[in-house]
Amino acid sequence: MHITTIGKYTAIEAVRTRVPVMALLVLAALLGASFFIRELAVTETIRFQTGFYATAARLCAVFLVSLYVLASITREFNDKGLDVLLALDVPRAHYICGKLAGFMLTALVVAVIVSLPLWALAPTAAAWMWTASLFVELALVVALSLFCIVTFNQLLPAAGFVAAFYLLARSLTAMRLMSAHPVAGEDTLSHQVTGLFVESLAYVMPALDRWTETAWLVNAAPEAGVLLVIAVQGAIYLALLTAATLFDFHRRSL
Amino acid sequence: MPTFAGLTDERTLRAVPPAVSIMLALTLALQLLWHGLQPSPTAHAEALPAAPDTISLRAASFGEPIAAAQILVLYLQAFDNQPGISIPFLDLDYDRVTGWLAAALQLDPHSGYPLMMASQLYGQVPDVRKQRAMCEFVHAQFFIAPDEHWRWLAHCAIMAKHRLKDQALALRYATDITRNASKASGWARQMRIFILEDMGETESARVLLGGLLATGEITDPSEVNFLTERLQALELTGKSSPASKSRH
Repeated sequence: MHITTIGKYTAIEAVRTRVPVMALLVLAALLGASFFIRELAVTETIRFQTGFYATAARLCAVFLVSLYVLASITREFNDKGLDVLLALDVPRAHYICGKLAGFMLTALVVAVIVSLPLWALAPTAAAWMWTASLFVELALVVALSLFCIVTFNQLLPAAGFVAAFYLLARSLTAMRLMSAHPVAGEDTLSHQVTGLFVESLAYVMPALDRWTETAWLVNAAPEAGVLLVIAVQGAIYLALLTAATLFDFHRRSL
Repeated sequence: MPTFAGLTDERTLRAVPPAVSIMLALTLALQLLWHGLQPSPTAHAEALPAAPDTISLRAASFGEPIAAAQILVLYLQAFDNQPGISIPFLDLDYDRVTGWLAAALQLDPHSGYPLMMASQLYGQVPDVRKQRAMCEFVHAQFFIAPDEHWRWLAHCAIMAKHRLKDQALALRYATDITRNASKASGWARQMRIFILEDMGETESARVLLGGLLATGEITDPSEVNFLTERLQALELTGKSSPASKSRH
């Protein structure tokens, strides 16, 4: 009951702070820019437009959702709204789960809005899978942002950590490949330590470079199994981040 | 006294419900297990795509065509070493390589970098057809700025003479340097004479060498002496001297 109520009001807050409107503005701006790119190209015009729009929309959606979560929780901390809420009969776990539910609903709306042009630009199956994958990615970014702001309490370190984590998760596979097949110095100690470090990181980070790929839209839609793998990995990591957030939040002295 | 929330205001671990700790441990174990079940990433060599057209590149460079040209050549240069895999230059599509090099030169016509890559990197593969393609590319681009690009064509002339064993091609390149690159170094401008000499065209070489000395274009006394001796040797023997045979 608490979770539903907190989730509902979190979603209402997103509407009132104009997150869907921002998503629509992002859509309009990127769509306009994509038409410009399309006009510049002399061949494969739709491919150019789709590629540009999908890449930019994915990054903008991640930025929008992450910043919204960080700003929303920071405001709640600063306004002492959280103190008031927890003075009531609301378990801490319900607060985190409610917030997460509300933010995930917001992420779903953002994912659907920014994906709208792709339903016209790309095959339906590809657009559907891209949208679904984007939603899982945004849900993960939401959980990560919530974990960071609860842990660090301040906007700057939390935003920095989210950005660094996201960029690393997007480039981790390339780093693993480069580490496994170096051009030179394979036997050196420094290379072996680096390789071990990169492989260890891969154990605790999702490989986001295989998610929400633009290639699905401009080349061919992936098999359904790809989306299943993303959904399972997303669910596991979402549960891990939620548990870590709950752990930190229970240790927090208000 | 300020307090540092989040750093010192923490409750003990006993404040965390056991269910949360168990959930954290379980999900972490699940993540490790899931990763362990996933196959290791495999490297796939990507084919070099066609170069974008110059208009698009100029628009994408936001008014910095030189920076765009530099990024372009670095991208091309790094293409053979993709994450986890190394592609021999020989396996690249040379029509596309030429397209990328030409695009970089169109963005920055004064740069010698694309021509260096063509003559020194892509022109060194053990494939005569690809070597010739790179030399022809350098030759075609030489005319854009002969005084700046002559050294790469000179390299191709030497390559044509020694590696391709095509004296006529070497002579064509050397002649174009002599005629079009007035600021080229003396050795490059004199290369035509020595190629003619090696081809047995001693009379032509003698006329050119004599002309070069007569115009006063050569001012360095040592170089004048050397060339005068060469001219005398040519006039005496009427054919290629031993020195020419041991020159290259």
